[in-house]
Amino acid sequence: MTKKNYISAAICLAVSVAIMISTGMNFLAAREVPLPMEGPTKPEIHMLSEWNPNLKDTNGDTPVYVLNGKEAGGSALILGGTHPNEPSGYMGAITFIETAVIEKGTVYVIPYTNHSAATHNDPGEGNIQYFTIPTQSGERTFRFGSRATNPIDQWPDPDVYVHNPSGQQMSGSETRNINRAYPGVADGNLTERMAYGVAELIRQKDIDITFDLHEASPEYPVINATVAHQRAMTLASEGCINLLLGGIEMSLEQSPTNMHGLTHRELGDYTDTLAILMETANASQGRLRGASGASQAIGGLDKFYVIEEKLDMLAVPFDETGHPIEERVGRHLQGVYDYVDAFNNVEAEEGEQIVFSGVPGYTELFLEADPATLGGAHLGSFLK
Amino acid sequence: MNKKISALLLAGAMILSLAACGSQGSTPSSSSAAPSGETVGLTEAFAESPILVTSGGQSADYQMVGTLMGKVGMEYEIKNLATSADLGAAKTLIIVVGGSSKGLGAAGIDADGELARLEELMTGAKAAGLSIIAMHTGGEARRGDLSDKFIAPIFEKADYAIVVSSGDEDGLMSGICASKGIPMDSIDSISKVATVLPAAFK
Repeated sequence: MTKKNYISAAICLAVSVAIMISTGMNFLAAREVPLPMEGPTKPEIHMLSEWNPNLKDTNGDTPVYVLNGKEAGGSALILGGTHPNEPSGYMGAITFIETAVIEKGTVYVIPYTNHSAATHNDPGEGNIQYFTIPTQSGERTFRFGSRATNPIDQWPDPDVYVHNPSGQQMSGSETRNINRAYPGVADGNLTERMAYGVAELIRQKDIDITFDLHEASPEYPVINATVAHQRAMTLASEGCINLLLGGIEMSLEQSPTNMHGLTHRELGDYTDTLAILMETANASQGRLRGASGASQAIGGLDKFYVIEEKLDMLAVPFDETGHPIEERVGRHLQGVYDYVDAFNNVEAEEGEQIVFSGVPGYTELFLEADPATLGGAHLGSFLK
Repeated sequence: MNKKISALLLAGAMILSLAACGSQGSTPSSSSAAPSGETVGLTEAFAESPILVTSGGQSADYQMVGTLMGKVGMEYEIKNLATSADLGAAKTLIIVVGGSSKGLGAAGIDADGELARLEELMTGAKAAGLSIIAMHTGGEARRGDLSDKFIAPIFEKADYAIVVSSGDEDGLMSGICASKGIPMDSIDSISKVATVLPAAFK
């Protein structure tokens, strides 16, 4: 080998090592998921592995924030980050933790229900990895994750996923979707273990009402919608009417009995909780969208959806103002307010009410916002 | 030159494909809508209790109507899969129309089965002399192929109709009511059911 070849080889090797170091650092940094800051109610912070020890020392273990009220009362659970590519879910949960004053009862909040899915994204979708918004303490960076458990933590997928215990068959990729894994399996795959931990938390703490916060693409028919287990339909009807009276378009659907693995079906069947799931419109999820970016995922803007709205191809209205994160988080948090109110009115027995304040609702987050601050800055003004 | 012609042909084919996609709207086109006409609102109370409430398409709208009726003190029986055997002593049947694939799944029935149930129920109700009130309260979100299957069969047999106006922008329901001489009141929100519906009862 000539001297010239040695130099070329050394340069190629150095460049390769530099790329490996750079991408390796990026890869490892994705394992760090930013956590909520303390709000007016000092939380007890537990780990989900307390309810399923088989999660201990895995990437599926996740913090559970327990916000205790000044008085005893009922209990609620808020699941954010079931799908960490649906940011209004976990940002709603984080906003709740950082703003809530619990007057009565106990509220459990899991910001990243599928913690593993928050540690990677879907590069094939061109999705962002992070987004940054200004907050009271300066700029904070949040993760934009994936719908499914990180394949580093659970691999390979089977050709066909068989749900336990129903036996229902689904696409193999759904084996890493926690919202197809309930009620979970104590010693199953990682996703099933996470789902079991949530179900066991509900059973052991006898949680009265559970919210699962989601987003869906603008072309998905079940959007701006609430799906409720049949035992929760009475309170959901009342809460939905209150949301409509407050100017929030919301449809109500009863959970199908033959669609297994989802929170609104299995947590209702396998625990005593009243299970409710809410959906908002996320412009970064559909197949008809333009190029991915923070202005789409957080700003809620997409010029192609504006065109498709004119062609009557969407399930939600979509104009140049889009559906910013403030509108989506506002819908979720207003839903939590109104469904908890309905729970207090129609389900809770004396002394079992849940009362909280301080959490920004749809009006504070969206209707009263300066339009120039929508797309992250206004939401950030409520965060620590 | 050949390349340019091919590119133009390809672009034309893509535009035609997009236009074809655009025809799959959530609401029927104006040509499929019923002819528009003047509808007349209800002028005097005609209905009597007891009341049976059911769904027409298994959306949860019937439960929301039931909740509103409860809020204004109206007593009613509610059964999403009611048949003529459930009419009992009822004197008024309220059918809240709205198709939901999730709701049909929850009820364990398909759209054709739901239509057959409603046909049997309404025939039984007519034979027993009940008044039938048809309601569509889900607005634009409860229109489309599935919901529209239930609208004409139910509204054509109604004695009175209440419709949230955003669901009738194409005039489908007002057209049926106008052509059949059925009084119909349009409301701008489901919450107005609480004021309009009690006025129909003696």
